[in-house]
Amino acid sequence: MADSISSVCNLAILEKLSDGSIEEILESYNGFCAATDTLLNGAGDLSVGPQFVSHVHGLCKHGLESLLRDHFLGALERTFEKNGALKFWRHFEAYDDVSVEEEVFYNALEEISLEKQYQEKCLLILVHALQSYNHGSHDSNDYRVELFAKYQMSVSSVLMATLPRHFPEILHWYFKGRLEELSTIMGGDFPHDDDEDDDDDKDDMDLDDKCKVSYRSGQMEIDECYPQGRFLDNNKLVNNIGKVVRDLRSLGFTSMTEDAYASAIFLFLKAKVHDLAGDDYRISVLESIKGWIQAVPLQFLHALLAYLGDSVSYDSVSSGLKSPLASCPSTFYPGIDTPSEGLVRWQLRLEYFAYETLQDLRITKLFEIIVDYPDSSPAIEDLKQCLEYTGQHSKLVESFISALRYRLLTAGASTNDILHQYVSTIKALRTIDPAGVFLEAVGEPIRDYLRGRKDTIKCIVTMLTDGTGGNPNVSGNTGDSLLEELNRDEENQENAGLDDDFHTDDKQAWINASRWEPDPVEADPLKGSRNRRKVDILGMIVGIIGSKDQLVNEYRVMLAEKLLNKSDYDIDTEIRTLELLKIHFGESSMQKCEIMLNDLIDSKRTNGNIKATITRTSQADVLGSELGDNGVSMDVFDATIISSNFWPQIQDESLNVPGPVDQLLSDYAKRFNEIKTPRKLLWKKSLGTVKLELQFEDRAVQFVVAPVHAAIIMQFQDQTSWTSKNLAAAIGVPTDILNRRINFWISKGILAESLGPDSEDHVFTLMEGMVDSGKNGGTNGSIEDLIVADEEGESSVASVEDQLRKEMTVYEKFILGMLTNFGSMALDRIHNTLKMFCIADPPYDKTLQQLQSFLTGLVSEEKLELRDGMYFLKK
Amino acid sequence: MAAVNQDNTLVVATTTAPSNSKQSQPRAKTVDSQSVLKRLQSELMALMMSGDSGISAFPEEDNIFCWKGTITGSKDTVFEGTEYRLSLTFPNDYPFKPPKVKFETLCFHPNVDLVGNICLDILQDKWSSAYDVRTILLSIQSLLGEPNISSPLNNQAAQLWSNQDDYRKMVEKLYKSPKA
Repeated sequence: MADSISSVCNLAILEKLSDGSIEEILESYNGFCAATDTLLNGAGDLSVGPQFVSHVHGLCKHGLESLLRDHFLGALERTFEKNGALKFWRHFEAYDDVSVEEEVFYNALEEISLEKQYQEKCLLILVHALQSYNHGSHDSNDYRVELFAKYQMSVSSVLMATLPRHFPEILHWYFKGRLEELSTIMGGDFPHDDDEDDDDDKDDMDLDDKCKVSYRSGQMEIDECYPQGRFLDNNKLVNNIGKVVRDLRSLGFTSMTEDAYASAIFLFLKAKVHDLAGDDYRISVLESIKGWIQAVPLQFLHALLAYLGDSVSYDSVSSGLKSPLASCPSTFYPGIDTPSEGLVRWQLRLEYFAYETLQDLRITKLFEIIVDYPDSSPAIEDLKQCLEYTGQHSKLVESFISALRYRLLTAGASTNDILHQYVSTIKALRTIDPAGVFLEAVGEPIRDYLRGRKDTIKCIVTMLTDGTGGNPNVSGNTGDSLLEELNRDEENQENAGLDDDFHTDDKQAWINASRWEPDPVEADPLKGSRNRRKVDILGMIVGIIGSKDQLVNEYRVMLAEKLLNKSDYDIDTEIRTLELLKIHFGESSMQKCEIMLNDLIDSKRTNGNIKATITRTSQADVLGSELGDNGVSMDVFDATIISSNFWPQIQDESLNVPGPVDQLLSDYAKRFNEIKTPRKLLWKKSLGTVKLELQFEDRAVQFVVAPVHAAIIMQFQDQTSWTSKNLAAAIGVPTDILNRRINFWISKGILAESLGPDSEDHVFTLMEGMVDSGKNGGTNGSIEDLIVADEEGESSVASVEDQLRKEMTVYEKFILGMLTNFGSMALDRIHNTLKMFCIADPPYDKTLQQLQSFLTGLVSEEKLELRDGMYFLKK
Repeated sequence: MAAVNQDNTLVVATTTAPSNSKQSQPRAKTVDSQSVLKRLQSELMALMMSGDSGISAFPEEDNIFCWKGTITGSKDTVFEGTEYRLSLTFPNDYPFKPPKVKFETLCFHPNVDLVGNICLDILQDKWSSAYDVRTILLSIQSLLGEPNISSPLNNQAAQLWSNQDDYRKMVEKLYKSPKA
């Protein structure tokens, strides 16, 4: 091979060659080859050096410099492959998986590095030989650089060519292991990691302070910040790693190594973030993550870069490239005074990665976080910062909406819970995004869903007005918070009043103007600009319902119910709520409710007045004649007098109250007429509450019941057994209602039901003595609950839904009537016609959308057909 | 609202115009038109809520004095399965005068002429203010099954009436279902 090369390369020289010189060349060449072999395989024996040099000189004389160079490099490569690479890989062959022992790794690296060093020495001999031959004619440095570069390339190509597939992973695991080790060593330095050790924390704080000082005073000594021993450990470890990295680099694994430790750091960081963030949303983790980044990976990188010698090289550049997070000096990594550009880049990368990881983590758990709101507000705050940094809001919106659809907007979730979550969502997202752009997107599906629920309005009103949120199982939080919202709103309005003032000085205007920021890109331009999109929880809640009138109406019904069940005229809370509602919804819309409350106040006064005058005038004869066992004194009687025009429709059931009570009622009404002529009282006898005590032979039981229950039990005072028909007649209620109501007493064990002679006609008997008190005793609580629940179903006020249903039947008839005569009509025309001619009580007041949904309902009931925007009767 | 305005102008008129007759006439009229409006509205409400099958009527889009009505032929008559559209026009002094009722759909009937005029006593001399839209429509519906052969408007129909089968065929031949 050597000959062929020489014949090709040196044709011109061959011409001139004499036999003697050929012989000399051959001899030199053979000598050179032999010397090379001995040199390379000599295992550290450099004694052949001088001989080698003379052969080199001999060959150079004949201009065969390039030949011997190539030969030598080839020999180096072959030897390296044999002695270095194969041996090196053999170290790892034993390990099928990637967890190579540290020792093995070090040994392997050391061995191959030694080999390489030796070869470099050999190469140096060649270089020197060549240099000594033609001193001065070449730029010696160039020459050396060129040769070493060639050598380096051949080394890495040999290694790459023989690279086992799992080597990158081995590297990765190695760095991971070292990082973990480092992290445990540094763990103590990491402030938020060990909360149980206060002293340590304090120490760290002090240390931090010290670091700051040292940073400011420009001292470079790292050791001052760390306990000596610990840092030495670190140093050893880092030095080890540094050595490994350097060795690997010198073997040509630069990028592979970098990949390996970068991915190890990132994975480790990810694991750390997951570990720190966890499922506890009550503490903010962002700071501790940042702290950890400073404490572990950056220290590691710093030491590494310093060890490798590129740490302090770009000082001047780095000042311009500060991390945006570095603005606050306390977050600056302790002990590292002038970060190199590489380190700053690393920090930015790591922090971005940490933010993104935490953000992703929080976004996937956002649903739970919001469930825990406001306890979870630290987590929300973290997420806000992350999003500010990463700007991936749309990710949040998408993920949260799908979580909502999957977990909240299902038939299984109660309306209360959904509303609760909605309110929490509003509050939480308000923190993240004050402009409400994303809230708009997230809230839409919830609102749509809630609109489909029947009890939405009721729940909202309960939440607005009732601290307990209507449902005892749900914590009172929501209701309270909505009331709070009402309060807050009041303050806001006052502030708004200031803002809207015409005389706001120019300075303020300028401040406002300079504070202006464009809407986020995701904002929907159709939904108004930032200023108008003030996040207003009440507004958004009312937005679900569609109009405030509906809400006010529902509130009126609930208020009526509440007021009618009161026995003490104490309406302070209601007045307060009403005042708040008035502020929000306007005075005029709450007018009827105000009249209702005034009725209560008037009632209290009138009631007192009537009772005072009645007792004075009729005390004598009442005492004298009637007030025996059966008589009822006016003292125990209170009346609520309502202006029925302003109250919601009241369900009136006929009822015959017991004689003495009836007498009392008419006395009362008479007195009222005297005082308030010409007004007269009309009693709603089925409404109200009665406190009564039943006295048995052995016990006395107290109850608070509805009048109908009292009337029933009163009948048993004189006659202990009644058939249901007779009893119904005596009380003046239909039999079926009686049968339903009397269950109350049966469940209390006061009455017993038995089949009479007629199967339709049950017999009720008073249970004198506690015959079956034992039977009911244990389960009393639950039965009572059942009864209460049952009673709740029968409200004394016609519910909004009932009213709505009644209204809608009228509209249905009108719509069917007009379609019979006009064949087909468009939505608009139906709407206008209803507006024109449906002047019933209440008049048609629905919106086009409401009508449309109603018509859609009729279409689905197959009463109507919709073709090309026209409605037809279904034939 | 319109009525109130008219009233106001009237007050001005009283002070300037001496004529008595001028004063009283329009006043009576305005009071009437208000009550007519009310009456028609309540009749509409009653009709809508009554739920009578086979009769229906509804005011046209902007004028409560012009109604469209619909009558379906009663069961077991030759008009079974047919549907007729009518127009009802109420006079300003309704209910003291009867409304003008016409068939808009061609109806082959002894007491209905070819342009839809109806010969029915309660719509002419036997009218009483106690009748209303509902009773008018019910009367016309029963007139379909029980025509008054003695005073026909459509002689051909009157003659054919005796032969119910042929009459039915004739009705089917001439019948065109009303369009909107």
